[in-house]
Amino acid sequence: MLSFGAFAFAAPGMLALLLALPVIYWLLRLIPPLPKLVRFPAIRLLIGLEPAEQTPMKMPWWLLLLRLLLAAALILAVARPLLNPQAELPGRGPLMLVIDDGWSSAPGWATRIAHAERLIQRAERANRPVVLTGTAPAPLDAPTVRRGAMRPDEARTLLRAFRPKPWPTDRAAAVTAIDQMQVDPAAYVVWLSDGLEDEGAPRLTERLRRFDGLQVLLPDQATTPLLLLPPAAEGRDLKVRALRPVADGPRKTAIQASDEQGRVVARIDLDFAASATQGEGVLAIPAELRNRMARLDIEAQGGAGSTILLDERHRRRPVAILGERATAGGQPLLQEIYFLERALDPYVSLSIGDRESVLTRNTAVLLIPDGAAPSANDREEIAKWIERGGIAVRFAGPNLAQGSDNLVPTPLRLGDRALGGVMSWGEPSALAEFPPNSPFLGILIPKDVRISQQVLAEPTPDLADKTWARLADGTPLVTAEKRGQGYLVLMHTTANTGWSNMSLSGLFVNMLQRLVTLSRGVAGDGVNKALKPWRTLDGFGRLGAPPAGIQMLPADAGETFLPKPSSPPGLYGDENAQVAFNIGGRIQPPKPLVLPSGVTTDRLSEGGETDLSRWFLLGALLLLLADLLISLWLRGLLPRALRFSRAAPAALLLAAAMTGAPDVQAQQLQPPQRPTTQTSTPQEKPGPPPLTEEQALKGSLDMRLAYIITGDKEVDDISKAGLEGLSEILRNRTSVEPADPVGLDLERDEPRLYPLIYWPVTATQPALSPRAQAALDRYLRTGGIIFIDTRDQQMSFDRPAGGNPDLKRLLAGVETPPLQTMPPDHVLTKAFYLLSDMPGRWQGGKLWIESGNGRVNDGVTTIVIGSNDYAGAWAVDQRGRGVMPVSPGGETQREMAFRFGVNLVMHALTGNYKDDQVHLPDIMQRLRR
Amino acid sequence: MAAPSTLNRSLELAGTLPALMVAADRVAATVIQGVHGRRRVGQGDAFWQYRPYRDGDSASQIDWRQSARSRNLFVRETEWEAAASVWLWRDASPSMQYASLRNIDTKAVRAEVITLALASLLTDAAERVAVLGTGMRPITGRLAVRRVAETLFDETRDSTRTPPSLPPMVPLPAHGTVVLVSDWLDPLEKIEDIIRYYASVGVRGHLVQVLDPAEEDLPFDGHVKFEGLEAEGQHTIRRVETVRTAYGARLAAQREGLQRLARPANWTVHLHRTDRPAQTVLLSLYLAMADLRRLTVA
Repeated sequence: MLSFGAFAFAAPGMLALLLALPVIYWLLRLIPPLPKLVRFPAIRLLIGLEPAEQTPMKMPWWLLLLRLLLAAALILAVARPLLNPQAELPGRGPLMLVIDDGWSSAPGWATRIAHAERLIQRAERANRPVVLTGTAPAPLDAPTVRRGAMRPDEARTLLRAFRPKPWPTDRAAAVTAIDQMQVDPAAYVVWLSDGLEDEGAPRLTERLRRFDGLQVLLPDQATTPLLLLPPAAEGRDLKVRALRPVADGPRKTAIQASDEQGRVVARIDLDFAASATQGEGVLAIPAELRNRMARLDIEAQGGAGSTILLDERHRRRPVAILGERATAGGQPLLQEIYFLERALDPYVSLSIGDRESVLTRNTAVLLIPDGAAPSANDREEIAKWIERGGIAVRFAGPNLAQGSDNLVPTPLRLGDRALGGVMSWGEPSALAEFPPNSPFLGILIPKDVRISQQVLAEPTPDLADKTWARLADGTPLVTAEKRGQGYLVLMHTTANTGWSNMSLSGLFVNMLQRLVTLSRGVAGDGVNKALKPWRTLDGFGRLGAPPAGIQMLPADAGETFLPKPSSPPGLYGDENAQVAFNIGGRIQPPKPLVLPSGVTTDRLSEGGETDLSRWFLLGALLLLLADLLISLWLRGLLPRALRFSRAAPAALLLAAAMTGAPDVQAQQLQPPQRPTTQTSTPQEKPGPPPLTEEQALKGSLDMRLAYIITGDKEVDDISKAGLEGLSEILRNRTSVEPADPVGLDLERDEPRLYPLIYWPVTATQPALSPRAQAALDRYLRTGGIIFIDTRDQQMSFDRPAGGNPDLKRLLAGVETPPLQTMPPDHVLTKAFYLLSDMPGRWQGGKLWIESGNGRVNDGVTTIVIGSNDYAGAWAVDQRGRGVMPVSPGGETQREMAFRFGVNLVMHALTGNYKDDQVHLPDIMQRLRR
Repeated sequence: MAAPSTLNRSLELAGTLPALMVAADRVAATVIQGVHGRRRVGQGDAFWQYRPYRDGDSASQIDWRQSARSRNLFVRETEWEAAASVWLWRDASPSMQYASLRNIDTKAVRAEVITLALASLLTDAAERVAVLGTGMRPITGRLAVRRVAETLFDETRDSTRTPPSLPPMVPLPAHGTVVLVSDWLDPLEKIEDIIRYYASVGVRGHLVQVLDPAEEDLPFDGHVKFEGLEAEGQHTIRRVETVRTAYGARLAAQREGLQRLARPANWTVHLHRTDRPAQTVLLSLYLAMADLRRLTVA
């Protein structure tokens, strides 16, 4: 490899061919180009002429340069040029790639694979075998692959099939696998690590260091894996936490919550402080949305570790209250159920009923107010239900105080204790701080909560452990006992305001919510039996059908579940109810990888070398095409349209493409832009459009009639045919000999070359652009005549021509002079023929002309507006017969229409000449006198 | 070939000049009597002048009505009316089918336009025209131009025969006029034969040389292989720019030779380039052929 900074050649031997360039140069100079072939009638005069100088015909320098470039490009292409070349791999043995492909490798996986591919490419160039191994256990359904040294291209195929796994790496097992592979000890090892420490890491490092060379690649901050923990309910909100292995400065991420269809229902920011490895965010969303949430993801991470699947436990809990709803006539403020309902209603789905109805339903928490007084049978059922995972919260009251039963967490003393009553010496008591084992820990205790009456627990040795809240004097207020999977909780005071004012405070609400949170969703369902895998996560955090061979989740999986090939994270259960198992919270918090000193490390890098051969080949191909075209052109074999002027060959070499040529020519033809005359043209109106030479010649060499192209093909064809017919009449009868009429597109063409413009009004023509308006204004000001034909005589018998809405629309913005109907002695009636009527296809209708009494523009009107569809009358076919019928006068009327047309053209060309002629006798009279 | 359009263009062109009456200075008896006056006494229908009876005049020449008004006898003299016959020819050989640029006519089209315009001018003046070498009799009248055009186009329509690049030598009456339109690039000796042949019988002639601008300027550069249009073969020139002067000299020599041949026979030579308007050469022909004395009065 031959390297020049960021540029290198993989096959520098081929560069020796560059030595052949001078030879090519010499040969090219020696071979004259083929002569241009020209057909020439006067060849007889040329025969025998031979130049005096005898210098050999030389190839033009630019063609020579082009061909040398072509040869050079080809030679450079075969020398395999590389941009940003990678250095040679150290060592001589095989290349061994150890890739961490656990859950933590999903962020930046593409970079990891690209990096590995480049390493394989380098090994391929050095002809060294490649060993490829991952550190995570393979999935159960993975095909068995050949281990050990293989060809680089095989390794590349294998690498492309690599995927991150949804479980942690097992580096200890990887060491065993490496030992079994019996890799050549001279191997150079690159470990693409995920940067996380685990128990096997030191062993793996030690094992890898025994090879010839070791490089460890660490992820940078953006690709460092984050671990999302299951959210904790905090009141109405969900508290979301994520962990990172190393506190390397502040990091901003976001959590998004999506429902089962994958729609994002909420998104919050989750920021890591500069020195914290844990980031927190609070997902405050309405309960309805919260129940729809199916998963949480760290945005833009994409991995099993940054995904939390949500199940029933994270939803609104079904809570039941034992008892019956108070009737409408009751006193609600005395009802216990009323307070419980008010405290819980927004957060949970409540149901009220007797034992049978509430326990047959899915219920997470059962509230037993004192008034419910469950029977012995009920108590037995409730106790069984608690064993299966239910949480029962019992409230004390007069009934319980009268006679205790066995459905209490701790034995109670008979009777109650009143504090601060009339008969009492003490004050109503406040609450003490919650003990550390209490689920209520952290709830702020309002200062004004007072308990005035309670039931007392018998002091037992384990009473302190069972107490979750106590009064300031140390007597228990809340006691609880874990029974089986569930809890039995007793509030030692009432749920209404009878014994305390606690049920009026926020404390009551918070405590009840904590209790609900304690529950495990639909208690007693699913956890006690083995669960089938329903949907599992893959390494990228995508939920899919479970791979084959996954085991049933044992009943005690709640405690023992560890993500591994036989039990990947995902949803277990059936289509009715699923339990989510996530990586977050099941594995050790991530810690940064510790490497012994002396191990070279590097970062994963995105960019690599680029093979430029194909670009050089493409360049050579383009040059070849250009050369072909130039050769054709030199020999005169290109079509004329593609020919350049004789001065262009150097430009042609640069352009190397023939497509640009017409543009260049068109621009050359345009006259230089005139300086705009500021005085006559207002600022906002654009200057006259440049005339091309072709247009100028066409318009000025011959007199032509013009019509406005309206865009309506039928109308335009009639306009053209009409003006052709009129032109023919003019040629036959008068000394005006117009050439073929032209169509004008006001938006593009310049009208000033034409003395008379015919403009049929259509409903479809769009209003004029300011540029066209300016052009039209200029035309009218400088003496042009526009003949506007509204063509609506047959439908508007007496409507004035100015009343046509399309006409108004089209003329808006054009400075139209004031109009009047044509007086009967106007020069239009006598410019050539003496006419009294001006019919077109229709008869009648007034002709509107500029009113100015002959003072403006020497009495020549600039605008003539008629409505009789004149072009329709003038339009004749090739045999001179009318195209469209004329009514009501038939051919006589058509003749009159032609005569009017002749008069109009005469008026346009001679102005008021005929008007002056009228005065001739008077003038002669005067002169004679 | 778009015959009607060429005809129209020719008529248009001819329309810009007044009718052309060929000066017939040396009219002899062979000249077919024409229909327009020559501003001198001669045979014709139009009254010219009365003159007193002289001895020798036949009695039938006396205008009795005029004589009856006075004591003398008057003879009624008519104006001499005579028409000239003009034979037209234009080169239709393949070498005329050439235009170096897209937007100019080929030499052949231009030659036809000139020929037909001339025919139109001549017939407007009631002269007789015919196409040389076709056996067509000189005719006049409005239809004559159309006949000439048809004859010209019939000639080229026959694709099996390559039209010759030189005019045919056919016997013509003396004092006729020929107008020959060609590029006149053939060897001078051959052209001399033609001029000699016609001049020897007293036919007047006008040569029109129609050349493409490329033939005049040789606007090529570098290595060029030239190929003739009439199977003259190919000729390669390594650097055309070096022979441009020599080529120009040769072309000048050719023209000089044409003039040299034409002058003693009192023929005229008119040069024309296809990138210039045809009016100029038509005007030049007109001036050479017209009876200018008559024109000034008219």
